[in-house]
Amino acid sequence: MTESARSEGIRQLGESTYWINECYAHADAHEHVSVYIVKRDNKHVMIDSGSYYHRKSIKTKIEDVSGNEGISSLILSHSDYPHSGNVKSVQEKYGKLTLIASSGAPEVQGLDDAIKCTIGESMVIDGLKFSFVDPPLADRSHTTWIFNHDTGILFTADGFGNHHDPGQCNYISPEFGTGIPREAIYKFHYESLSWLKYVDARVIGDALQTIIDDLDPSFIAPVHGNPIASSDIPTYMNKLIESVDRIGSEYTVGSAF
Amino acid sequence: MYRKITDGFYWLQECPTNNTEFVDQVNPPKWYKGNEEVHIPQSIYLLVDEYSLLFDTFSPASTDEVLDEVKEILGERDLDYLVLSHTDVPHAGNTKAILDTYPGAQLIAPKYGTGHELYRLNSSKLVGNGDKLELGKFKIKFHEAPFVDSAIHLWMTEETTNTLFTVDWHGFPHNGSDCMLFADELDYPISEDQLMQFHGRVMFWLEYVKPEKVNEEIDHILAEHSPEQVAPAHGHFIRQDAAAELEKMKSVVELISEDGRIGAFG
Repeated sequence: MTESARSEGIRQLGESTYWINECYAHADAHEHVSVYIVKRDNKHVMIDSGSYYHRKSIKTKIEDVSGNEGISSLILSHSDYPHSGNVKSVQEKYGKLTLIASSGAPEVQGLDDAIKCTIGESMVIDGLKFSFVDPPLADRSHTTWIFNHDTGILFTADGFGNHHDPGQCNYISPEFGTGIPREAIYKFHYESLSWLKYVDARVIGDALQTIIDDLDPSFIAPVHGNPIASSDIPTYMNKLIESVDRIGSEYTVGSAF
Repeated sequence: MYRKITDGFYWLQECPTNNTEFVDQVNPPKWYKGNEEVHIPQSIYLLVDEYSLLFDTFSPASTDEVLDEVKEILGERDLDYLVLSHTDVPHAGNTKAILDTYPGAQLIAPKYGTGHELYRLNSSKLVGNGDKLELGKFKIKFHEAPFVDSAIHLWMTEETTNTLFTVDWHGFPHNGSDCMLFADELDYPISEDQLMQFHGRVMFWLEYVKPEKVNEEIDHILAEHSPEQVAPAHGHFIRQDAAAELEKMKSVVELISEDGRIGAFG
């Protein structure tokens, strides 16, 4: 992979994981719709497939990262279209790849040929060990978070996201200076996980902290946010819990219906 | 499978999977007849008068079924509106196939949430709380959905029959021999266990809520709308005692918030 390709939306996390960042512009901010690739020897495991909206760009970046070897496996966090929108095109390009998804009824999710992974269990995929984690922050029942033991990276799908300014698309968390802004974390969760208006921030905070304590991730890698380095996770968590508390406080029962 | 609820109002049901693993076979719940499949259905609804409206699409596992059944009901007339409750694949997965078959149909989607373009909804008509649509004798009123998974989400009421369409709320499994029965025709009343089997999996976030806040919302829905019938997407059509049925969810909310989710579905 060339350095110029890296500056155009590919960042390396640790020694063997690549963040392919794509953005969607809202009125006043950007939101990532990213995918990740974990490399081992000549194998490349893709985490989520991105949106059809970014198909051409993702295809180019996959080729930059994987070269002639291509994608060997694709793990889906869930079937939501911005995460699964390129499954067929990736399969068409890399026909022999293994598709893994947590859905209990893949045909109902349009993923007829998926191998099921079970939340709470682990699988070795192309020599890499992945565990599938019950996600407190998600927008589908069958969503799984994906933890790679080899790199220590926790892929959190719709959890741990944030909006960002146009100039911050390529940042990882230490490059924000004082961390990912609180308001950017609040806005993402307010808009994307609207059920948080009923949530007890302390309860969900405890659930999230238990996962972090158990896994001690080197990075948290969200689809809709900038990757969060280990050293920045406590600060992000404080801002997240404050945001959840704010979302609940601002909502009055009856005002949504 | 489909069934007429009243003249021009049809309930279509897809039961694509067997979930007997949800039932304790040693100590089965009272509603389970034993030696039967267990279904959690996908229910969609078709309203036909001066104009026609289809609410949701079935999953990609049943593309032929939804096209055949809609065609059987509509005959030679066109579909005028396709309304998506939300962008979940089992609800919206046949949007393209339906619009290809009925190219004159207007796609209507929830205005809530963000990134509609990522779901190919940028050319749809976006509606929200209070927006209305007249089909003739049927009068549709849209609502922001209170209890959701994805943020792009919509509930609606049909005002003439006073039917509330609750999408992912009030889902429950049934015996394989009970497909397409109205709730009042089942041999057993809808039970807390059935509601738990669905919401303890799909509404996983109830594990983290302040239950009194969710239950206050249920009270608000009942006070504000007083529905006479309930049309859930994952349960049987409820023709009687709608308020009492919706009240049943309160204890389920409390149980999930105390004991956590029981699994996943989908």
